[in-house]
Amino acid sequence: MILLVLELVARRLLAAIPILLIVSALLFCVLRLLPVDPAAMSLPPNATIEEVEAQRREMGLDKPLAQQYLIWLNAALHGDFGRSIALRRDAGSLVAATLPATIQLAACAMTIAAILGLGGGLLLFHLRGTALEPVADLVSILLLSIPEFLWGLILLFAFGVLLQWLPFIGQVSPGLPVPHVTGFLLLDALLVGRFDVFLSACQHLILPAFALGLAFSPTIMRVLRSSLFDIYLEDYIQQARLRGLSERQILIGHAFRNASLPTLTLAGVQFGILFSGTLLVEVIYSYPGMGNLMVDAVRNADLPLIQAIGLTYCIVVLLINTAVDGLYVVLNPKLRAR
Amino acid sequence: MGGALGRALRSPRVLLALAMLVGIACCAIFAGTLAPHDPGDQNLLSILTPPAWADGGDPSYPLGTDSLGRDVLSRLIYGARTALLVALFASLGAMVIGAILAHIAGYFGGAIDWLIGRAVDVWMSFPPVILSLILMVGLGTGLSKVILAIVLVDWTRFCRVLRAEVLIVTRHDYVAAARLLGFTHWRTIVREIVPATTPLLITLLSLEMAIAVVVEAILSFVGLGVGADQPAWGQMIADARQYVYQSPWNLLLPILAIFLTVAAFNLLGDGLRRTLDVRLAETGR
Repeated sequence: MILLVLELVARRLLAAIPILLIVSALLFCVLRLLPVDPAAMSLPPNATIEEVEAQRREMGLDKPLAQQYLIWLNAALHGDFGRSIALRRDAGSLVAATLPATIQLAACAMTIAAILGLGGGLLLFHLRGTALEPVADLVSILLLSIPEFLWGLILLFAFGVLLQWLPFIGQVSPGLPVPHVTGFLLLDALLVGRFDVFLSACQHLILPAFALGLAFSPTIMRVLRSSLFDIYLEDYIQQARLRGLSERQILIGHAFRNASLPTLTLAGVQFGILFSGTLLVEVIYSYPGMGNLMVDAVRNADLPLIQAIGLTYCIVVLLINTAVDGLYVVLNPKLRAR
Repeated sequence: MGGALGRALRSPRVLLALAMLVGIACCAIFAGTLAPHDPGDQNLLSILTPPAWADGGDPSYPLGTDSLGRDVLSRLIYGARTALLVALFASLGAMVIGAILAHIAGYFGGAIDWLIGRAVDVWMSFPPVILSLILMVGLGTGLSKVILAIVLVDWTRFCRVLRAEVLIVTRHDYVAAARLLGFTHWRTIVREIVPATTPLLITLLSLEMAIAVVVEAILSFVGLGVGADQPAWGQMIADARQYVYQSPWNLLLPILAIFLTVAAFNLLGDGLRRTLDVRLAETGR
């Protein structure tokens, strides 16, 4: 079975290569259409026209677009994504420095989304046929109408400003050190034994992670509910009832396991979107991840940085989708047998 | 179709959503007469005043003022105009592109289907938020740019879902019959297939409007939206976010406006899906 999963993952990754090439080419073309001149931007404002021209030649901007792309691609394959124009640092290392914070946020949010989504789905299904069903249904649609952007602001408003229970700026309280070992702050704080930093980081993570988790749980909820509906029409549920199993055993032991498959497929797509959703939540909570870096890069029209971050988002989303496909094979006996 | 429409108009969800949307649309259309002030008028002597009912409120600013002394109520009303304009044109644009490609792909199949399918795959491997931000860098700010960016990002939503539907419809006997009667491909698509996919199209359109409202708010929030001279809910949020302790109302009101608009479109979409889709309407789910 492990072999099968590995084969599938390898096949998916191979299929991702042309997609990534096209995506990077598209990204390159769109950004080159910009009415900004990276050469002039990377020089001081008092540079002469000759100096700008020399810089353009040095940066390869006088070459045809296709050749420029190949040069960029070659460098990118060697790990060189160019230098950020505004921050004057290597774009690749800027991404590497902020990516762990974003992954940490996304991982916490996915856990919350999964718990709330599965719990909520079971609850919605449990309420079927009762007087509460239409109410619960309506609530789930209304919840579906609140994107992570609004959840971020609502939670900030309610728990940060009104109740003042939780901090909502940055990833640790000001004054505390930010240890750097792996880049994952929660892990690093534990590694260096700073429990105060760990606690503060946890507190700072609660609101952004819940904002994302709450936004993505309703879809999981609704799909689980509707898959459960489908499965309860199957004969084996009736069989289980005749065998004298309790409703609870049927729901958890039989129906839930089968309903989790379509739910997982959807959750995979959702998690890909969730990862890019961190961008807004990071901006709202001034969380120092890749999203904030991206927005700054976009505001400064910092082409090399935008390119590097845009591509990183695509790669991570593709990896998440591949991982979910692999998990799907692990969980689905029908696919395993083939 | 007539019966389905009648059924849709009897659904409480659809009616509630339509009532909300008519209200918001009235704000947008009659913004000039409804708004007590010009949305851009600054009054630097009374900045961040609370709503009229709170302590220190000024009755001439019913919902208070923002950090530049602009009337929050007027900006909310004009913001509805921005949001609905974007929702309407962006979703229609995305629908037209997506639907045309979906019908071509689903009807003809073969190489052209493969090509359109791969284009959708590549497009969708870009997270929508990231793609729209990058497009806004290239396009620059402005109402028409926001609409264009949303169209360019979201046509895939229509294309993917509709293509599957067109595939199913194309296999029906009456489509083959139309071809046997000597209908051209074009006439077969327009007369036989489009009517069958329209219910799904309307539902998707309604859901896309909800998405467009959110995307517009997001782009305006990060400062890459309709531009500073055009009032937008996302901008109001960005402004209020900085003064959240002084005037929490300024943050809450645009959030509420976005939520109500998005909820109305989603309710409409859900109600239409239940009533227009014959299969769903029959099972009662």
